[in-house]
Amino acid sequence: MAVEYDPALIGRVFEVTDPVGVSAEDILKFCAAIGETNPLYTDEAAAKKGPQGSIVAPPSFAVTFRNGRHFFTHVPRFGAAGFDAGKDVEFRAPIRPGDKITLSSHVKEIYEKTGRSGSMVFVVVRSTVQNQNGEVVAHIDHRFMNRP
Amino acid sequence: MPIINFDEVKIGDTLGPQEIYLSKDQVRTYARTCGMDVPRFTDDEGARKEGLPGMIAPGNLSLGLLSRLVTDWIGQSGARLARLGTTYRQPVQPDRTITLNGFVIDLEPAGKRVEIDVWIENEEAEKLVIGTASIEFP
Repeated sequence: MAVEYDPALIGRVFEVTDPVGVSAEDILKFCAAIGETNPLYTDEAAAKKGPQGSIVAPPSFAVTFRNGRHFFTHVPRFGAAGFDAGKDVEFRAPIRPGDKITLSSHVKEIYEKTGRSGSMVFVVVRSTVQNQNGEVVAHIDHRFMNRP
Repeated sequence: MPIINFDEVKIGDTLGPQEIYLSKDQVRTYARTCGMDVPRFTDDEGARKEGLPGMIAPGNLSLGLLSRLVTDWIGQSGARLARLGTTYRQPVQPDRTITLNGFVIDLEPAGKRVEIDVWIENEEAEKLVIGTASIEFP
């Protein structure tokens, strides 16, 4: 089966989200949710002496920022069921309390694979995560698996 | 044990294993904290309606746990997690014990970079999530 989609959508930014503020409390809540106890992420006094000079978010906090409504109207789906197949994240800079984070996203790639369980279509969405200074904090390649 | 500097890292060094009992409450807390408050991550009945065996953990939680495994190992060495890639092979279900593992597969002395295989296993030693991580020393 050939996968059909509009090739013009590859590489075209479909969404830039509104900035989302990050507080020290948000970071602590996230730490609690993943069982994080490293003082560089949870204890201001200890973090002051660390390499960043203050509390920063654990790296995986970068994946918690969400795309908005454009995601559903611009990212093609193939078949009824879609699953999160994995992520490839390049961490560029820490996220700090007081940051305002935006996501800019485009479809990077669409490809088909045949596995033991049949045909699968993968849609890779790349989101660039930036802070209020325009500094890229992470690139996230998110693979969605669809069963046609 | 956390590492101190690049020179002491060897191919074959292991991260973990860290055993974690993943409770339903922890999965719900993660889902609600991270704006993923949907039935498949919060309630068994709702998850079954979506064709799942019961509640599952969000992929991002698995990624967060593997990231934590690596940053625990980095400790206060000043190295940083530069990249983490994950593949979700099978759903991670709560109310079970999972184990986080890592294994150093390559060293790049020029960039002081360490490549690590990471994975999450269930009690049957099935790899539910696999991935690779890169860390960089200053």
